[in-house]
Amino acid sequence: MKFVSFYHIKFTVLIVISYLMLGCVKDVDLDQREDISLSPDLQIDLLIYDIDQSQFEDVATGNLKTRISDTVRLEFLDDDYIQKDLSSVDFYFRHINTFPRAIDSRIRFLSEANTEQFTVNYVIKPGASGNPITTERSELIDETRINLVRRSIKMVVELEVQPGTAAFEGDLNFASKGFFSFEF
Amino acid sequence: MWRLIAFLFIFSNAVLAQNKPLLFNVDDLPQTLMSNPGAQINFTGHIGIPFFSQIHVSAGSTGADLYDVFADDGTNINTRIREAMRNMDSRDYFNVNQQWEVLSLGWKLDSRNYLSTGIYQELDVFAYFPKDPAILANEGNNNYLDEPFYFDDVSFAGEILTVYHLGINHKFDKRLTVGARAKLYSGIFNAESTGNTGRFTTYTTPNGRNVYRHEVVDLDVLINTSGFAPLKEEEEMTVEQATAELLSRSFFGGNVGFGLDLGLSYILDEQFILSGSVQDLGVVFQRQDVENYRYFGAYETSGLEPLFPDLNENDEAIPYWDIFEDEVDRNLRDQTTNESYTTWRPVKANFAMEYGFGPAFLPCHYLSAKKVRYMNLLGMQLGGVKRPKGFVYTFTAYWDRKINENQRFKIAYSLDDYSLTNIGLMYTRTFNKFNVYLAANNLLAFPNLAKAHSASIQLGMQLIFNK
Repeated sequence: MKFVSFYHIKFTVLIVISYLMLGCVKDVDLDQREDISLSPDLQIDLLIYDIDQSQFEDVATGNLKTRISDTVRLEFLDDDYIQKDLSSVDFYFRHINTFPRAIDSRIRFLSEANTEQFTVNYVIKPGASGNPITTERSELIDETRINLVRRSIKMVVELEVQPGTAAFEGDLNFASKGFFSFEF
Repeated sequence: MWRLIAFLFIFSNAVLAQNKPLLFNVDDLPQTLMSNPGAQINFTGHIGIPFFSQIHVSAGSTGADLYDVFADDGTNINTRIREAMRNMDSRDYFNVNQQWEVLSLGWKLDSRNYLSTGIYQELDVFAYFPKDPAILANEGNNNYLDEPFYFDDVSFAGEILTVYHLGINHKFDKRLTVGARAKLYSGIFNAESTGNTGRFTTYTTPNGRNVYRHEVVDLDVLINTSGFAPLKEEEEMTVEQATAELLSRSFFGGNVGFGLDLGLSYILDEQFILSGSVQDLGVVFQRQDVENYRYFGAYETSGLEPLFPDLNENDEAIPYWDIFEDEVDRNLRDQTTNESYTTWRPVKANFAMEYGFGPAFLPCHYLSAKKVRYMNLLGMQLGGVKRPKGFVYTFTAYWDRKINENQRFKIAYSLDDYSLTNIGLMYTRTFNKFNVYLAANNLLAFPNLAKAHSASIQLGMQLIFNK
């Protein structure tokens, strides 16, 4: 007795071959590949400084220099991924102050031609020795204003000491970061 | 005898593999000699139809399938991709293997020896899912603060090569058949990156100088390529030209290597047969058109630090960014070199045990050398392929049925990393001397391949002689 009938096998093989030929891809829409994007959210440190009263001293006269500033180029702002794919940035700035006076902080973003794109101004609250006071500030540059960041290449940090009678001694720490959202 | 069994088990645990289980131990198909040169064979000669004697394609993904990414269910594709990436881990892998037999022939030298030779082209790509770098690129570091992204996850190997081979199948005695196949590899293209190290972490630093500290530690990523540099340099090369350039290297124009297949089969008693083989014990020496890309070093930063120098209006600001870039370049380095390297072929090995039943009473033909002992074979097969992070195993149980002198099928159930429901079927038929065969795995997935984690198919045609 045959274990499996010849004709039955022949028929089965035909079915299987047809089955393989009919192998198909269903329930998917490959056109969705047009919609594929990468959308990383990156936390990136920007500038830091930690200064004391010596930084506010006029080297020539030894007097208090009430206004100091410095400029840092952020060359990455000119890169392709910023120019094409950046959708928003949430900047965060933090000062920790032990100087007994308030200090005006002015953070400016400039273009290559030194045209101001946007500015973040705030007053750093006065602290005291042994009693550091934190001042925080955020600035969201959303999609509607993102060209301001794209056009920027320099970050200028300016500090202006407000008038006061207390001896100007202490420390000022600055921390800053950007929360960069991309859509590639 | 038990020593032999013990040897086969130890051997199979040491190096295991198989990527075409449906063609293993099919004694009336010459292709069985390609997976076990010491297989029991039941023919006296063969000539493959050039370019059509074996076409093999297999592809698999242990992680996401096509449906996971492209499902037409109204949800957002990027959400699905993100979900799929989170569900996979760095041991999930993608694999594509393709073989195309250009030439295949063999003939019986005498009552004990069968010589076979041929040429085939092979493409093999195996890549582990680089989870951490992929998540970093897709999601960024925001949701993963204080968690390291490991560059160790980058691990892949891919090659295209032509294989020239010559094998001998020797019937040692009534029980034991042994075989060996020498291989000459002509590498067309190779790219590999394994054994990488390094991690990138964004630490939150509540008491630090800034909000975060970004740290790259122990970075050492090496990508070796051969055959890629000339294609890269030809900027205006079309796909056709690139294909022609690659094909021109098929005939000893590329990088050369040597390999060996070994195998045996042993009739344990009247009904039990043991068999085992190792394939592609070999190396390719990558010496031509080699480019190595290495990225290495360590660095940490919390941001740029302005110094508020006392500058006049005309003084230039300190170039903080340039200083920072120089420092990064000094500490995180990249090198492109042209150093030769050696690649090991992915070793494959198989071990099978078969039980025959239903003695054959096929009509005798005085001109035929074909000796069929049993109409049915029940078997178990263990296979594995050596990959960068270890062996990839497949366990297969099968029923191999000879319908008559000229027809045979094999139905198999396999357990592997891809699926628990892998049913395969092989069918072969010979019309006079003209033989055709078709084998396919994971049949249950064929109605909708979008939901399949793997699929493979082998088909071919050839002339097989039996006298």
